Amino acid sequence: MSTTSQKHRDFVAEPMGDKPVTALSGIGDVLGKKLEEQGFDKAFVVLGQFLLLRKDCELFSEWLKDTSGANSRQAASCSQCLAEWCNNFL
Amino acid sequence: MPVFVENPAQFSKQRLKSELISHSVDLPPADSAKQLYLEVYMKHVGNKNSADFSSDEEEQVQDGNEEEERGEDSDMVDLSSLTDDQLKCKLLQYGVKAGPIVASTRALYERKLHRMMTQHSKHSVNNKDDAGKYSDSEEEESGSEQLGPESVSHTDPSVTPSTEAVTDVLMEMFPDTALTPTGITATKRRSIKGAAGRPVQFKYPETPLSPATLERREIQQRLVPLWVQIAVFLLVAALLYFIYISMEEPLENPFGALLNGLSQEPSSDDLALVPNSQDTHT
Repeated sequence: MSTTSQKHRDFVAEPMGDKPVTALSGIGDVLGKKLEEQGFDKAFVVLGQFLLLRKDCELFSEWLKDTSGANSRQAASCSQCLAEWCNNFL
Repeated sequence: MPVFVENPAQFSKQRLKSELISHSVDLPPADSAKQLYLEVYMKHVGNKNSADFSSDEEEQVQDGNEEEERGEDSDMVDLSSLTDDQLKCKLLQYGVKAGPIVASTRALYERKLHRMMTQHSKHSVNNKDDAGKYSDSEEEESGSEQLGPESVSHTDPSVTPSTEAVTDVLMEMFPDTALTPTGITATKRRSIKGAAGRPVQFKYPETPLSPATLERREIQQRLVPLWVQIAVFLLVAALLYFIYISMEEPLENPFGALLNGLSQEPSSDDLALVPNSQDTHT
């Protein structure tokens, strides 16, 4: 994970506020919709799950793969994004 | 030759489940009935059995496996029937620090625990013989050697309750020791504190070294030859320097002066002799 996407940098740069779940890097429209269906409509709800898993990227990736059908790259990107956000703002 | 095949219908639900796990078949949902397990078992495993075993050896191997699996049954409890607290404790046993176990995280932790358990039992099957070598009395005598059998005892049903008590003391003494999946832990020998009924006077400091210390050690290991290398290099350099000096200014060299003195002395004698000889001739 040497390079990060623009989306990642945008998300990590500021507090997430009320951003939708699709603002997370690695979460596109399709995955976002699946997450919304399960109640994870905002980025902070996903953050909540991430924190419940004690910021364990591995477990979180697994969860994301299960709930939204993300692939490994998407899940890793999302967890890295959240982990970095936590480092900056928590 | 006739092969003895057990009737899977007589297996317990636990047994069926472990059989399925050992054949790496996906388990049906945890709350499903035994009938469902049986169906899955027959589908995936039942057919294989009749085809696979043609020789005595394989049969024996399989028998051994089955016995071990039966032994593990006590440990392979139905994960979904555990309470949240129990699940957390179990995870802690395998060195996983679980977060809050709630509806959205429980499934993940269950799966993780299951993964750890299968991994653990796979390894400990190989070490089972070792576990037998440690008798109870020996464990009580030597407090420092107990980590091995202690971590193995999680899966070993033959360990008696008295070892359980020892295990508790150990957990007290080494609270930070993470259980390795292999069940083998290498620790330094230490003086025995808290053995033979003496009170534990202090908690042992953490054994694992920080990465920085390890790095320093590595450098130190490299430093010794480096130092020798530098010394040798300086020696050679000094030698070359002396040779250079003796070549540039041979007169300043005391050895050179000596040599010159030696070569000059006979020549002066010659000079002295020459006139004498001339005199005698004339």
